[in-house]
Amino acid sequence: MGIDLRRIYGSIRNLAIIVIVWEILGRLQLVASGALPPPSAVVLRLIKDWGDYPGHIGATIFGAGVGFIIGNAVAIAAGVLFALYPLTSRVARGLNIAIFALPAIAISPILVLTLSDPVPRIVLAAIGCYFVTMTATVVGLTQVDARSVDVVRAYGGGKWKALWLVQWRSALPVILSGLRVAAPNAVLGSILAEFGGGGRWGLGVYLLGSLGRAEPDRLWGIGLVATLIAAAAYAVFALIANSITGSSQSVTVPTSLLRSDEEGRVRPLWQRGALIASSIALPFALWWVLLLALRVPAMIAKTPAGLLDYLVLLPSAPIAQGKLVAALAQTLPMTFIGMAAGLALAFALALCSQLWPAVVRAFMPVALVTQTMPLVALTPLLVLMLGRGTAVILAITISVTFFPAFVTMAQGLLMVPRAALEVPKAYGASLFTQLRLVSIPSSLPYLFAATRLTAPRALLGVMIAEWLATGTGLGNLLNQSRGYLDYGMIWSVAFVSVVLSVLFYQVVVVVERRVLGRFGMASAQ
Amino acid sequence: MSTASGIRVETVSRVFAARGTTVEALRDVSLDCPAGSFTALIGPSGCGKSTILRLALGLDRADTGTIEVGGLAPSDATKSGITGVAFQDAALLPWRSVEDNIALPLDVLGRPRAAHSAKIAELIALVGLKGFENALPSELSGGMRQRVAIARSLVTDPQVLFLDEPFGALDQILRKQMNIELQRIWMESQATTLLVTHGIDEAVFLADRVVVMQSRPGRISKIIDIDLPRPRRAELFADPAFHKLEAEVASALDGH
Ligand SMILES: Nc1ncnc2c1ncn2[C@@H]1O[C@H](COP(=O)(O)OP(=O)(O)OP(=O)(O)O)[C@@H](O)[C@H]1O
Ligand SMILES: [Mg+2]
Repeated sequence: MGIDLRRIYGSIRNLAIIVIVWEILGRLQLVASGALPPPSAVVLRLIKDWGDYPGHIGATIFGAGVGFIIGNAVAIAAGVLFALYPLTSRVARGLNIAIFALPAIAISPILVLTLSDPVPRIVLAAIGCYFVTMTATVVGLTQVDARSVDVVRAYGGGKWKALWLVQWRSALPVILSGLRVAAPNAVLGSILAEFGGGGRWGLGVYLLGSLGRAEPDRLWGIGLVATLIAAAAYAVFALIANSITGSSQSVTVPTSLLRSDEEGRVRPLWQRGALIASSIALPFALWWVLLLALRVPAMIAKTPAGLLDYLVLLPSAPIAQGKLVAALAQTLPMTFIGMAAGLALAFALALCSQLWPAVVRAFMPVALVTQTMPLVALTPLLVLMLGRGTAVILAITISVTFFPAFVTMAQGLLMVPRAALEVPKAYGASLFTQLRLVSIPSSLPYLFAATRLTAPRALLGVMIAEWLATGTGLGNLLNQSRGYLDYGMIWSVAFVSVVLSVLFYQVVVVVERRVLGRFGMASAQ
Repeated sequence: MSTASGIRVETVSRVFAARGTTVEALRDVSLDCPAGSFTALIGPSGCGKSTILRLALGLDRADTGTIEVGGLAPSDATKSGITGVAFQDAALLPWRSVEDNIALPLDVLGRPRAAHSAKIAELIALVGLKGFENALPSELSGGMRQRVAIARSLVTDPQVLFLDEPFGALDQILRKQMNIELQRIWMESQATTLLVTHGIDEAVFLADRVVVMQSRPGRISKIIDIDLPRPRRAELFADPAFHKLEAEVASALDGH
């Protein structure tokens, strides 16, 4: 692969343009009367504040770093287990989706209540890493060239021998690319936990503390530092991955992928039912067991039974239900609108990437950088610019869904062979026909992958905006309950938002299977 | 040990089901390769040759029938380290050097590599890759990769050797040289050898028996004994007796 100098040059040029435009906008106070300070002011303020930073940076990096190590160790171990024994992945499916979909902000108050200081950041950072790395591990291990595994098996080697001699090494580039994405997630997780309170140090604490004071240049400085840390973490793994992929690419094109025994196997109905039931039961069991193991007082920590009491059985239950329903009525429409808008925008722009690949390729590095930008660092800035109304919710939700969706779809579409695009062109097809015949159908799997990816993120975005800016919906209910020490409600909101996220995810998966199945397409990872 | 290293295939059938359709890769195939014999399998593409090899190596399971290698079930035979194999594709590990790729079976079987370093060097010389010991597969040509795979198949001093079109990517001249080398190795090692090939000349030159297969369903249609004296030399390729046997195999392939 190597590093393409021209593309690096292009990215630097784009970045320079952005900075210059930003400087002009800031100088002239064009955006929201000074909410967007010029970069020079941000940097000057950063230098002036620098005395405050080391403690906060240290705390955030410590939480993110320890969480990164633990989360990825667990993720890789789990990935190996799932790849070698596919049945276990069926049982753990519910748990995996729950971990993927759970809005970190919803459980951060719970973690702060039940665990003491550095642990909540570590846990949230670890959770941020788990799903990405686990998926990468499974994909890497199972998409190994089957012929190489055959050589090991032909000499009597078993699963573990094949894992040791062939699979892990060929999975390494995929795992590294997972770690690359996980690294900024860990930083984000650590900052989100700091929002939950309980600590004195951390960029999240600093950000929250500075939010009340009208000092946009400081907020931008904190956001910049958080982004730089996340981007640096991303870059380290990108470099490592780049340096080893050279020698591990398969020499010839593999004719077949290693097929798992599970695939295509039709199980009797009762077995399938048992698998689904156990995959739903596992997260609840784990929740219960963890609380027992941690010996958290029952008043603070709600077990599934405790939650049932609070929401259904107790005399006060209808009041709690009413609050939840009212909050949901505010949160859900925002989630759907924001997500639809973000996806539509991403889809439209990704299609443009097919028509004008050069333009979008130049834009891609910028989009990738924004991927590493902790969205919480963005929120206060958007609040400054857009005020505390509906607009800010939508802006945050669109921005958290747009970029990952765009990257997913654009990268997928870049893989469509040029020749496939040129066949219709050769027959004189118009731009529109070309889109209809080739680009849109071939982007379907990526559209679904992007939707799967962004559905839980949209809810997270809305809740963050509600918490920090508008004081409405689930996010606000969570924040308020934190203030009133209404533990039952904190747990209820966390529970409801996790269930909702899982539900979104499942709905997308089901629709995806139907649609792609009809077109004979495979789903994209 | 001679009786211990034969290959016995008895009324083996294998049907593949994929996306609604089924392919009868093998139907009632029986084949007995006595210890120390050299058998060539030849037949049209897709007639199940590779499938027989995979079954004999325990990589796949037959629907009906039994297979024994050296008197053992395939998976036990491979575990005991008596088999060697070179696949149709070289299937080298891209991150291992030539030397390390050749040593892979030793690693799988848990044999110390140090004790075999002379053997590995000898094999590298045999397949003409001296000077490429530390090259990675991506730095080799297709034919060179295939030669690494051949060296790899011999590193364990196998008593039963399976070769799936090992010389497919070699040029004609090198191919004939490798044929003569293979005959020498076989005569020295006495390994029971099953060679899959598309080359009629290669099959006749090397084998004691040429087994001709037909497809749909995959089955054995004819077995032709090759009674040419050994060691066979390069001149044999021009011998009338050789041509007669070639013609016989060719007509069997055509279905006569
Ligand atoms: N894993 C599999 N799944 C489905 N069908 C298979 C599989 N492996 C082999 N087949 C089918 O079985 C038949 C025999 O395949 P096999 O690889 O044994 O052929 P072959 O004789 O080695 O052909 P060639 O000379 O081209 O290598 C083919 O029709 C093939 O499509
Ligand atoms: Mg074959």
